[in-house]
Amino acid sequence: MTFKPVSVNSLMLYFEQVISEEVLDEVQAMNMALKDIEGIIDLIPSYCSILVEFDIFMHDHKSLEEKISQKLVGLASANKKPTKLIKIPTDYSKNLDLERVASHNNLSIEEVINIHTKTTYRVYTIGFMVGFAYLASVNSKISTPRLASPRKKVPKGSVALADLQTAIYPQDSAGGWNIIGHTEFNDFHSFEVGDKVQFERI
Amino acid sequence: MKGFKVLQAGLFTTLQDQGRNGYKHLGITESGAMDEYAYLWSQKLLNNKNANALEVMVGLKIEVQESTIIAICGADLGFEINGMSKPIWQTYSVQVGDVLSFPKRVSGQRSYLAVKDGFHTKKEYGSYATTLKENIGSKVQKNDILTFTTQMNYPKKYVKKAYIPNYNKTLTLRLSLSYQDRYFSQEEQEKFFNSDYEITLESNRMGAKLKGKPISPKENGIISEGICFGSVQIPQDGQPILLLKERQTIGGYPKIGTVLAIDCFRFAQLSVGDKVRFEKIDLKMAREKTLKFYNFFKDDKED
Repeated sequence: MTFKPVSVNSLMLYFEQVISEEVLDEVQAMNMALKDIEGIIDLIPSYCSILVEFDIFMHDHKSLEEKISQKLVGLASANKKPTKLIKIPTDYSKNLDLERVASHNNLSIEEVINIHTKTTYRVYTIGFMVGFAYLASVNSKISTPRLASPRKKVPKGSVALADLQTAIYPQDSAGGWNIIGHTEFNDFHSFEVGDKVQFERI
Repeated sequence: MKGFKVLQAGLFTTLQDQGRNGYKHLGITESGAMDEYAYLWSQKLLNNKNANALEVMVGLKIEVQESTIIAICGADLGFEINGMSKPIWQTYSVQVGDVLSFPKRVSGQRSYLAVKDGFHTKKEYGSYATTLKENIGSKVQKNDILTFTTQMNYPKKYVKKAYIPNYNKTLTLRLSLSYQDRYFSQEEQEKFFNSDYEITLESNRMGAKLKGKPISPKENGIISEGICFGSVQIPQDGQPILLLKERQTIGGYPKIGTVLAIDCFRFAQLSVGDKVRFEKIDLKMAREKTLKFYNFFKDDKED
C-alpha cells in the first residue's frame, strides 16, 4: 500500500492497481481499521484505493500516514470482520434486455438467469448515485456491453448488467446498463464495500 | 407559522451550510455553500455556528412577516430593502412588512442570506445542505414560508472593507500537483500552467467544465477512485473539469491536481465566459493557507 497526498485535507491509499478479490479484501480490512482513527471525516473505499478525508486541525499528512501505517502492521493477522451476505429477491420476468443479453452470448434466457444467480458477487465500490453498488465479477459467459445509447429513465429496483459488473438502480435514473430483472429490495444504505451479494429468482 | 414569505423564488435559491460529511462511502456528496468565504462571513456576523443560509443567485424576493436580524455576504445582486438599494457584507434588522430583493447581477454569482440562529429546517444526514440530485431538500419555491426564531437585540455589524473581495472576471487558481501527475508529461503540464481556460455553460454546483488548450493524459481512464474537493480531472477531450461541492464521490478520469479550497470558493463567484489560469502551489503552503483561513473564522474575536 502506498500513500499519496491528494489535497490539504485528503490522503489517498493505493493498493495494487488491479481489480481482484484479494485486493478488495485488503481494502475492506483497511477501511474497517481506519474507522477507529479519530479525526477522519470521510472514507471512500473503491476497487483498489481508499480516499481518506481528515480534519486538518487534528492531523497533517505525515501524522496520519504514521497512524495508518500502525494499523497496517496488525491487519494481516487480524481477524477479519465476517462479510455480510445480502440476498436480492429478483423477478427476472420484469426485464427489458434479457433477450439482448441472451442473443449476445448465444444462450437461452433461462441459461442467462441461471448463470446470473449462481455467482456470489462482491461490492467493489459505491457511487455514481447514492446507494449504487458496483457488483462483480459477472461470469464472462453472460458479459454484455452497455446499450449504445443510455435510456432516459431506468426504474428504481432494476437489476442491471454491464460487461463484468452487475448492479441495482437505487432510484429512477438515466442509465445505459442492460436491465435483466427487477427487485423490491430497498435497503441500499446497507451495502458496504466488500459485502457479498446474491440474486435469488422469485 | 410566519417567517420570510417567498414572493419570487429567483434563479436557483437553496438552503446550504458548510456541507455534509461522513456519508461519502454511500455515494452521498458533500454539497454545502459553494463560496464558504462569503457563507462563513454571514455566520460570523451573526455569531451563528454552522447554521443554514440561503444561497441566492439572482431574482429572490421575500416579504418579512416576522422581524429579525439578517446578514448578507457574497455577490452584489443589487440587494434592496423596500426598493431602496442597500450595501451588503453587514447585518440588518428587518421589520414586519419589509420586502427584501436581489434584482440584478452586479458582480459575483452567489450571495448568502442568513438569519440569526438559522432557518427552521431539519438536518438530513447531519447537514442542512440541499442536494437536488439526491432529493435532499428542494429549491426555494414561490409562496414558501421560511421560518426562524425571531431575534431582535443584536448589535449592527459590518465586514471591514479590507475583507470584502473584489469579484474580478479573471482568477488564478493555485493547484497542487501531488495527485496523479504521473499521467501527465512535463510538456502537458507546461501547457496546462501556461494557458487561459474559459468557464463554459456546463458548469454548476457539481463542477465546472473549462475550455482552452486540450491536455492529453497518458491514459484515458483509471480504476474508479474517490474524488476530493477541487480535483481537476481531464476527460478524453482534454478539457479540464474542476470538481466542486456536489461532485460525484468516485470517478475514473485521470486528475492533474487539486485546486486549493479557498480558490474554489472564490471560483464560485465567476460566471460563464470568465477566465482562469492555474499556478502551482506546494501542499505545505496550501495547508498553511487553509489553516489560516479556517482559524480566522473559528476565532470569535471581532474584526
